[in-house]
Amino acid sequence: MSRSKTVKTQNTLISETNAKEEQIENPGSGTHSRYKNLRSPESGSPKSGDLSRRDFLKSMGTGAAVVGIAGGCSRADANEGLEHLEGTNLVMVIDLQRCTGCGGCDLACKSENNLREGHFWSHHITTTSGKFPNVRYEYLPTLCNHCENAPCEKACPTSALHKVNGGITAHDPQKCIGCRACIINCPYGEVSAHFGQPHEEWQEEEELIAGVTGSAKSTLEDVGGERIPIYNNERENHGLGNRHHGIVEKCDFCLHRLREKKLPACVKRCPTDARIFGDLNDPNSSVSRILSRYRPFRRMEHLGTQPKVFYVRSFNAAADYPQTKGELAEVDTNEERAGEFFSQMQQNQTERYGRDEDGAIDITKLAQQEQLFG
Amino acid sequence: MQDFKDKTVSAKTFDTPASGPSTKSSRKSFLKRALMAGSGATFGSMLAPGLSTLKAADRSNGSGTQPAGQNGRWEASTCLGCTSWCSVQVYVQDGRATKVRGNPHSKVNGENLCVRGHMSLQQVYDPDRLKQPMKRTNPRKGRGEDPGFVPISWDEAIDTIAEKIMELRRNEETHKLLLTRGRYTYLRDILYDRFPKIIGSPNNISHSSICAEAEKFGPYFTEGIWAYRQYDVRNARYVICWGADPVATNRQVPLYNNAWGELLSRAKVATVEPRLSATAAKSDEWLPVKPGEDGAIAVAMAHVILTKGLWNREFVGDFNDGENRFKLGETVDENSFNENYAHGLVKWWNLELKDRTPEWAAERAGVPAEQIERVATGLAEAAPHAICWVGGGPTMQVRGAYNSMATHALNGLVGSVDNVGGTLASNPEYSRGFPSVDPHLDDIARRGIAMQKIDQRGYLEFPSLNGGRSGGGVITNRAADGILDEDPYDIKVAIAYFNNFGFSNPQIERWERALSKIPFNVHITTHAAEYSMFCDIVLPATHGMFERHGFMKSIGNGYRQLPVNRPVIDRVWDVKTDESEISWLIAEKLAEKGFPNMLDHFREYRDPETGAVPQNAEEFDLYALKYATRDLWDPAHYKGGDRFDGWEDFYRTGVWNSDPYNYRARWGNMGTQTGQFEFYSQTLKTALENHAGIYNTGVDQIMESAHYLARGEQAFVPHYEEPFVHGEENENTFHLVDYKSRLNREGRSQNCSWYYEMKDIDMGNVVGEDVAQFNPVDGERLGLRNGDAIRLISDTGELECTANLWEGVRPGTVAKAYGQGHWAYGKLASKEFGKTPRGGNNNQVLPADYDRLSGSSAFYGVVRVRVEKRSPSVT
Repeated sequence: MSRSKTVKTQNTLISETNAKEEQIENPGSGTHSRYKNLRSPESGSPKSGDLSRRDFLKSMGTGAAVVGIAGGCSRADANEGLEHLEGTNLVMVIDLQRCTGCGGCDLACKSENNLREGHFWSHHITTTSGKFPNVRYEYLPTLCNHCENAPCEKACPTSALHKVNGGITAHDPQKCIGCRACIINCPYGEVSAHFGQPHEEWQEEEELIAGVTGSAKSTLEDVGGERIPIYNNERENHGLGNRHHGIVEKCDFCLHRLREKKLPACVKRCPTDARIFGDLNDPNSSVSRILSRYRPFRRMEHLGTQPKVFYVRSFNAAADYPQTKGELAEVDTNEERAGEFFSQMQQNQTERYGRDEDGAIDITKLAQQEQLFG
Repeated sequence: MQDFKDKTVSAKTFDTPASGPSTKSSRKSFLKRALMAGSGATFGSMLAPGLSTLKAADRSNGSGTQPAGQNGRWEASTCLGCTSWCSVQVYVQDGRATKVRGNPHSKVNGENLCVRGHMSLQQVYDPDRLKQPMKRTNPRKGRGEDPGFVPISWDEAIDTIAEKIMELRRNEETHKLLLTRGRYTYLRDILYDRFPKIIGSPNNISHSSICAEAEKFGPYFTEGIWAYRQYDVRNARYVICWGADPVATNRQVPLYNNAWGELLSRAKVATVEPRLSATAAKSDEWLPVKPGEDGAIAVAMAHVILTKGLWNREFVGDFNDGENRFKLGETVDENSFNENYAHGLVKWWNLELKDRTPEWAAERAGVPAEQIERVATGLAEAAPHAICWVGGGPTMQVRGAYNSMATHALNGLVGSVDNVGGTLASNPEYSRGFPSVDPHLDDIARRGIAMQKIDQRGYLEFPSLNGGRSGGGVITNRAADGILDEDPYDIKVAIAYFNNFGFSNPQIERWERALSKIPFNVHITTHAAEYSMFCDIVLPATHGMFERHGFMKSIGNGYRQLPVNRPVIDRVWDVKTDESEISWLIAEKLAEKGFPNMLDHFREYRDPETGAVPQNAEEFDLYALKYATRDLWDPAHYKGGDRFDGWEDFYRTGVWNSDPYNYRARWGNMGTQTGQFEFYSQTLKTALENHAGIYNTGVDQIMESAHYLARGEQAFVPHYEEPFVHGEENENTFHLVDYKSRLNREGRSQNCSWYYEMKDIDMGNVVGEDVAQFNPVDGERLGLRNGDAIRLISDTGELECTANLWEGVRPGTVAKAYGQGHWAYGKLASKEFGKTPRGGNNNQVLPADYDRLSGSSAFYGVVRVRVEKRSPSVT
């Protein structure tokens, strides 16, 4: 069955789209290569036809026209609605000990931002190391690092990728020409190209059982929603509700939420409270205090991109090896001294954040929200 | 370009619900909207007076005033995706659900929600959902037969069902009606209990024994609770998870996810599990036990705790002179020990523990003796804030009942039962039962109810001792044999709801034959599932989280919560609620046909506020909920926990929380025969002797028939039983380690694209695939590579999937998640709907075997499989 059809997009781009996922694979994130497995080949595969070079250039050309028009916009507009973030340096700290690798952030992000199948702005890298029975599994939640030194921004020929208040790397779809320089330059694979129309699977008219079940299209028509029933139109408060053919997309720390003084969806919805968001320019913010207490790491620090997503502690249980700024604590099996160790551990706990004792860092979402937005 | 900007920013963004329906949803019929609880107040005048509260709730706003730019509201409901039953809130924009979160009013799960909760969004708007009733046109039934479903009206569907029931009534064979369920709300008694009883059938068969009954066996026969427990992890200092995977699958997953990071700072965590589970990865110690050998480790730990003198004196008691006489191999005089809140410790030692050294256990379990000793010692040193968390793994096995006892009994030794940082029972709650059914039972019904049930519970070899009674519990999977063998009789009419027994039971092929044999079969379901394909009529059901009323009960965090299921969105299609609305419609039809008893009964479910008698299905649905929850929301009947001003306040909040847990209240007052925590179970002794008495035989005979090895008094204490495994052990066979995907909404989420996109959050799994995991050592030996198309084969059957080599798997075992392998359910779930599965269903290779003492089906450590490469499926 053919998915090829003429579609009028939101920004009046008209393009013949025959997206074939393999051809547009994002070299960094690998999300598209995952997408190709999603649909059972026999059950209505979307991969028919190719995205021709001509189509691609056409979309680029149209995009360039957009730049011509949008070129007149002043940079000040980019911070419209974000005035309250002026002077802040927004960072995210991910506490790997709290993280359980549940994936809740990924789906909260998808539903918040109307992401199409195969696209993730919040994602993860899993690794297993060692040999049975000494095996270690780790889960690293990933997202756009909003680098201070953002290679994507530097590479962008049209300034579609640009910095806004808080140091967030934002994306202006009107300026984006889909050239993918950002994708090539992002060392983290956190920018994705958007090919074809969003949520194309919802145009499917075939009913599973004729006359008895719905089809994707009839369900969409019955329920409503822009191209997908669970469409969250609040995403339109900043940027596009759905992305479209010929542009790139990535995480923007939920700018539509930040402008409403709400935390990013992945932070707000994390069931383990592993994500702590705040202003690094505020020395009393929870993020500042956590980063001073725990030795953090960032992805590919050697590249000098200065990511604003930090990781602290270990995904694996650390009871025997409390992470400090110094060397690993020795494990003593002598019962008496083990008792001492235990009480020392308990003392460490009083320092763990989330408690009201002296020196405790409040990581609750309420505290984060208050610190940031008053 | 300017047009585009205007459109996105102004026209859509600030479109509030009050400002009119969106263009997309305006196609909905006026009537349909009028019947929805979530519809606009404009249509309120259409509603019957009794439904005024719905309108009121509709006007209310779950989260206060709406900030600019926010055009939806958070509405409370309940997630039925697993047995956590979290209280949730749904973000509703113009009648559509767009996001979900935990309900901040919940004291159990709070605002936390797991990945399954999010996936419910894709379930409710699944393109493949049934939109109206359908009937079969092909009389031949069997797997692969196209049922030839055609749409029919609700009236025709209900009339046909009522007529079949009347036929049973006329022939006085009402016991040949079978009513089955899976998931439910606590409106369940309407359809699951009242409905078959009034018609006259004893056959209400639940899914419980393919869920967790064996897990409840140990707690019941030691401390008298046949129920899930809650674990006080926020106060614990040591936790051992026995085949439980609380951060991934079961139970109260969002709560335990939230608590886990802090738990790791405060406590040590050990996980006993053949594969590296999500919880094992987040533990200090992983004990990669050989499948089925958990009991060996448990009794060895008890041995360590006793010989080292580390048991909790306050709870258990002590030797009269304080000198520890628990020495390797030495029998102890019972009179030398003085017990406090425990019973039979010395008997347990003498009968079982005295020789159970860590070295003995290490040989069987494949876990180092030092590790067993270290973990046991750590647990006991942290007593009484030390938890043994008993999950399905060690218990849902052929001889799992005693693993359940042995692992749970450790909680007794360390005194964590009912204690701070320990294992807790349920807090009291104050929902109430529905009106009495007795006045509505006629002679036919009474005769029918008295008949033997179809699942063969209580047969000599199936004691199924729920509540200590012979045949006290359901044996779900055995019902297939009852139907096939017509033992005790044949089934003529079946109605199934919120289940899929054609997919979820081991040795599934028996169910396919059994279902083909039932002359008239009805399935109430959101999707055309495997079970539906054998049915004569299929009725489309509402989605539990978004489209219906109900309430649930769950425990955790030292509280019990009763969250409410609420219809918070515009229903998709012409669907109805199984337990309430469909029951009412059938009752109406039965009354029309001259059998008014059920409708008479349902009319007693009056609105507690107004005293109004329900006049239609929608009112019945609402009044039933108000009736059952009255004492939670009516200030005049307040009994405890959260207080509400009245129905609207309760309904809007969406959850009632109990009072905090009353620690140690059950010490000395347990539901066992002695009132104590029984290491020597007088309660089990009585239950087994009663069961044996029915058949004029002894307990040893029962043990033998039920495939247990214990003889004599050993049957009454927690003890080691060698695992019972189907299939030969050799270098080409692998012990199957079944586990549940963290993405499973109980086998109903496999038509969601997110399931496949996110599959790699299951440890060592692959996006888009259904993998069987082998240790690389075995992979190399067999020449298996990642991505190889393979077949797993047992004497029971075979399944097709993909090979994956992963170090988190014990050599000699193959680990595979349950969930995929649907040959029906939808376009994504199956390769070819109605014919070819996508991935493999573990129930194809699992034999139908049981832990016969609890009635549970065996899922773990029960079978060895062969592996074969197959040519990759043509793509």
